[in-house]
Amino acid sequence: MADGTQSIEAPWEADAIRALFDSKTGWLDRRVHSDAVLYQLELERIFARGWNFMCHESQLPNVGDYFINYIGEDQVICVRDDEGQINVLLNTCRHRGNALCRAEQGRAKSFVCSYHGWNYALDGRLIGVPGQSTYYRGDLDRSRLGLVKAAKVESYLGFYFATMSSDAPSLHDYLGDVGRTGLGMVCANGEVEVVDGIQKNIIDCNWKIAVDNLFDWYHVMYSHASAGSAGFIDLASIVHPKNQMVMLGDYGQAIGGPGVPKAMQDKIDLMSDEERLAYARSGQSEFPRLRSPKAADLMGPEGVRSMGHPNLFPNVWITLDGFQICLRLPRGPSHTELWWFTIVPKEAPPPFRQAIIRQANHVFGPAGLLEQDDGENWSQSTRAAAGFSSRKVGAALLMGLGRDEVAVGGNGQTSIEGYVGEHAQRWFYRSWTEWLAARDWAELEATRSPPPTGVV
Amino acid sequence: MSAAAGTKTRAKPASAAERAVLQYEVEQFLYAEAALLDARNYREWLGLIADDIHYWMPIRRTVTLSDIDREFTKPGDMAYFDDDRTMLEMRVKKLEARSAWSEDPPSRSRHFVSNVRILSVAGDEITVEVSFHLYRTRLNSEVSSWVGRRLDVLRRADGGFRLARRHIFLDQTVIPTTNMSTLF
Repeated sequence: MADGTQSIEAPWEADAIRALFDSKTGWLDRRVHSDAVLYQLELERIFARGWNFMCHESQLPNVGDYFINYIGEDQVICVRDDEGQINVLLNTCRHRGNALCRAEQGRAKSFVCSYHGWNYALDGRLIGVPGQSTYYRGDLDRSRLGLVKAAKVESYLGFYFATMSSDAPSLHDYLGDVGRTGLGMVCANGEVEVVDGIQKNIIDCNWKIAVDNLFDWYHVMYSHASAGSAGFIDLASIVHPKNQMVMLGDYGQAIGGPGVPKAMQDKIDLMSDEERLAYARSGQSEFPRLRSPKAADLMGPEGVRSMGHPNLFPNVWITLDGFQICLRLPRGPSHTELWWFTIVPKEAPPPFRQAIIRQANHVFGPAGLLEQDDGENWSQSTRAAAGFSSRKVGAALLMGLGRDEVAVGGNGQTSIEGYVGEHAQRWFYRSWTEWLAARDWAELEATRSPPPTGVV
Repeated sequence: MSAAAGTKTRAKPASAAERAVLQYEVEQFLYAEAALLDARNYREWLGLIADDIHYWMPIRRTVTLSDIDREFTKPGDMAYFDDDRTMLEMRVKKLEARSAWSEDPPSRSRHFVSNVRILSVAGDEITVEVSFHLYRTRLNSEVSSWVGRRLDVLRRADGGFRLARRHIFLDQTVIPTTNMSTLF
């Protein structure tokens, strides 16, 4: 009987998968962005095995509220049950596989299948089967036919995640210090809620190209030149090419982008909140955004300096100083569905809330003045590298390789600081090969690399 | 239209002949405006835009009939477009920049406007509902198609119209395209 644990036929041997990225030379095999078998392995060994972002608690305030999300390509229902718990259920009826929920979000008393009327409680129990006593002659064990539940559902700071693997470490350990720092960035201004409306669009690119790009502060000046020259954004003021800070964590967690230099943070730490805001607005600060020292409680003494982009492995990008989360859902080797969640502090005064929403609406999303050109580059990077001859050429992730050093700072937080580089991308692809080569959690734990130390 | 009609609010112009003339004027304006966008004549298009325009495309969701009042996001929440004139000017400047990679080489677009219905006339302002189909193709093989309903407000000015509001209600929920770098 198929119990869902069998591995699919994999012509890729573990050594061949590990060879797809050479972290010592920085060369990546372009087939990682187009190979259909590698893609199927990703669904099994990365998405079903890892922790996937589901929703924020503010999206499901009441009993019966549900929100549809995905674990890889598997649709799941995130729903608050009568006990107040958030369940993650595979959206497929146990009878013939029909989708129970067709809406993206809503409120339900129970989930009734539109095919034959099987009825499931909000916690997934099968509570009604038409004709159970007659057609089935009373001989149907409903207790074995509940909806398939995610193996684990856990939350951090109100953000819910799910994994299909019962062997997965706790969410806390999976995120590690770097992932928790990333979610800490979202909550650095206090408790948050998701604004109504999630932008969704499909880009014809491999999902990893979108992840690679979030760490990429090299492309900003060129890719987004038109948004700069139109007067929409002062690109030079956001890149800080000599003050970059990369943090690498277990399981492929990473943060990359600008970082406030330590000496400057030491100065900020002595300021009151009012002095800090005045300093940021005075124009004297090279960084127009400076975090409250209180944010260090969630981000750590070094992490609080990051003004960059966390990625929660594999596909959760935190951006705009934590005011947006972009989920990159795989849709085949050459398509990715992007979901933009916009997040505001619950206590934000209306003008601040509106400013966040206005910025989110105009920077990212399919019509965003920056994102428009990203989509063009990602789709063409996928397409132009997929041909028979083109895919034999390596992708170059050479920037800064062997030139920087991992520094150990306060609370043991580590960072790589200096010029714009490609340390985070290399860590992402290195971790990706290790996830994909390992058959199960035990093998992944035994073979994965710890975050690099020393010269990188 | 007479000067008196411009100051008086009423549901429809009085006579069938007046209604036919207004319908003709409105349609000709919408076709001319669409032609400017198809021709990438964005500067001239901006000339048709009122200073106080609200150019808005809310997010549509697939919801059940019992949640149908939540099908679209509300003003002030998230949207695909939520632009004032300054933001539209920025979009045009971007399109002209020669570094807007998503539109250079430029897309080829066709704005179809149909089912034009004048819903109300209030003073100088005419509220018009249209169905639209924006077809875009770019590079060798990329094809995008956006279909929906629009609520436009046309305001009489300088012997013609200015577009004072454009609310765009797409029929699509998940946007099936890499971007929306063209104007609707």
